[in-house]
Order: sequence, then C-alpha cells, then structure tokens
Amino acid sequence: MTVASQPDGGVSAEAPAPSPAGPAFAHASEAEMARILDFYAVRWEYEPSTFPILWNLDGDVVESFSPDFYLPDLDLYLEMTTLRQRLVRKKNRKLRRLRELYPGIKIKLFYARDFRALMLKYGKLALVDSLSGTSGQVVPERGVAVDPAEDLPEAVVPRVEAPRSRRPEGRAQEEPSIR
Amino acid sequence: MNGSVDLEADIGEVLLTEDQIQARVAELGARITADYAGSRLTLVSVLKGALPFMADLMRQIRVPLRIDLMEVSSYGGATTESSGLVRILKDLSTSIEGEDVLICEDIIDTGLTLNYLVRYLGGKKPASLRICTLLDKPARRLVEIDVDYTGFTIPDQFVVGYGLDYGEHYRNLRFVGVLRPEVYSSAG
Repeated sequence: MTVASQPDGGVSAEAPAPSPAGPAFAHASEAEMARILDFYAVRWEYEPSTFPILWNLDGDVVESFSPDFYLPDLDLYLEMTTLRQRLVRKKNRKLRRLRELYPGIKIKLFYARDFRALMLKYGKLALVDSLSGTSGQVVPERGVAVDPAEDLPEAVVPRVEAPRSRRPEGRAQEEPSIR
Repeated sequence: MNGSVDLEADIGEVLLTEDQIQARVAELGARITADYAGSRLTLVSVLKGALPFMADLMRQIRVPLRIDLMEVSSYGGATTESSGLVRILKDLSTSIEGEDVLICEDIIDTGLTLNYLVRYLGGKKPASLRICTLLDKPARRLVEIDVDYTGFTIPDQFVVGYGLDYGEHYRNLRFVGVLRPEVYSSAG
C-alpha cells in the first residue's frame, strides 16, 4: 500500500504519490534528507528563503543565510551540515545571528553527528563516510552566492545592527518568510 | 554481526533495568486508567519495537480496551527502494472511528514516523488521538510531536532491548541498554 501526502497535510492510502522535481542539491546529505522527508510524506522546499544577517554601514547586505530546507506543514527551517563538529563554529554563529534577527522563525541545525545517528537508525551507516565533508559534494558548480564573511575570522566580521524594523533590506534575494 | 551473538556482551551500559521499566509502566498504566475512565480506548502498537511495551502497559490499564497493531516500513529497509514512500505493511484490523486511540511507541527520536502515523490515523476520524512512548530522545527531534505520556527521557545514545533492535537483534533483552559503538561500527 503506497501512502502519499495530501494538500491538507494528512496522508492517504489511495492518493497518488507526489513527485517533486528534484533540485540541484549542494551536498549529497541534503539529497538523502530530501529522500527521507519524501519517504515520510513531509513536504519540503529547498532553499526557498534567504535571510540577510549582516549589513554594512551603508545598509548593504554583506552576509546572509539560506537554510537548506523549509517544511511548510511544520513551519520549520532545517539547516544541515556535515562538517566535523569542531568546524561548525561559523555556522553556529550564523544561526545565532539569524535567531536574534528573526526570532519568529523556527530553525533546526542538523549536525554531522545527527546525520550519522539518522543513518545508523536506518541501517545506512556505511553511507556516512561517503557523504561527509567535501567528498560528499555532488554538485560543486551550482553558482552558490559567495558569502563575503565566510572566509573572515569571526573577530573581524563587522558587527552592524540590523535596521530597527528588523525587516531585511538591501539586496535580499527573496522576501524572507518571517513567521 | 554474526549468527552467534552474545547479546548482553554487546551492551556497554544498562540504561534502564527491568525493574525500572516495570515500575514506570505501572505508573503510566495508572495515569492512563484515570484519564480514560469511561472512554472507548483502543491501544495501537507500532510493530515491532513497541510490542513488549504495549504487552506490559495494557496489563497495567484498568479500563476496558481494545488493541490493534500497525506496521510501517522504515526508511532504508527492504521496501524503501521500490517506492520511496512509507508503506503500510500492516494496517489496523478494525475501524477506530469514534474511538479514543492511544498510540504506543517504543521510542521517539526524529518524530518522522510518528508524525506520519498521527496524520494517517487522524484521517480515520478517532474521537481522540494521543501518544504514549516508553522512551523519548528529544536531542534527535526533527519534527515536534506532542507526547502525552512519556516513560523515560533518555540521552542521545543508541539503545536496544525491550523491543528495540539493531539489525533485528536485542529485542528480547529485558532491559534497555546502550549498544557498544564498536558493534555497529564494525558492521558498517
């Protein structure tokens, strides 16, 4: 019996299965996560929103954050990283900044250890090594916007407060969904 | 993992003893008895892991009840590759429309399976739908789930026993223990 998600968020044994067009994932672990979400009939969108998190004194966006997944039925953003735990400091910092600026959004950071635990649970632990780190990059040239602050030590990243309205301005790629 | 598994030797730490489990199950049974007085209660167990838990729990509940069993395919299992979607391997045997349904789970970690089950069973129009889990591992939660009855909140460790398995083994342990990492690392 095949079960598929319904527009109202329920699941039915009779409905045809959705077949979302596959986006070009930046990392194989993201593709695996998309398959897991599909399996459990959880609707997802891939990188639907970009949130500016740092502006320069001219009000231009100098750093932004695009969570990997948005799960509309759960109103939840999901960011995945397969970096080793000691290397996720930069991503943690961006996540803290995002939460400060957009306190209304729900976001979870899925660490490498979380992914490993998930694969262990599903009996696919052997996949973890091949999906971790740079070797898991499946689409290395997909034109991802360069994050100007990404290569700077944290100490020299300019600290500019967000506009008082906390409404993203500058060259936001898309109106962020502030929930 | 070979055919002659020394089950208890693979356990690095006993997390919950048999006595602790039975005492907590009795407490849960007493709470459920009080909450469901006068109700039309149906316990739904999710095979295979929750079977020992429901078997013990139902005998601690002092109101009339029905039981039913469901089994759904797990991601990564043998049926995953064919469809890419959850498959109901065993559906409920009777209607739950108008019934007060209590899902008995062995463990909640990501919440994905339970999120699916709640939506699926909710479509069958029960009068109420609640969740009882023996173990809750909130550190692994991906999908938030409102859990009504929780036996134990456990740390982020891979546990087996009392229904929980690794590679279909260890379900028959009478306690819940932490599997030694070298067991699954070597099997990788």
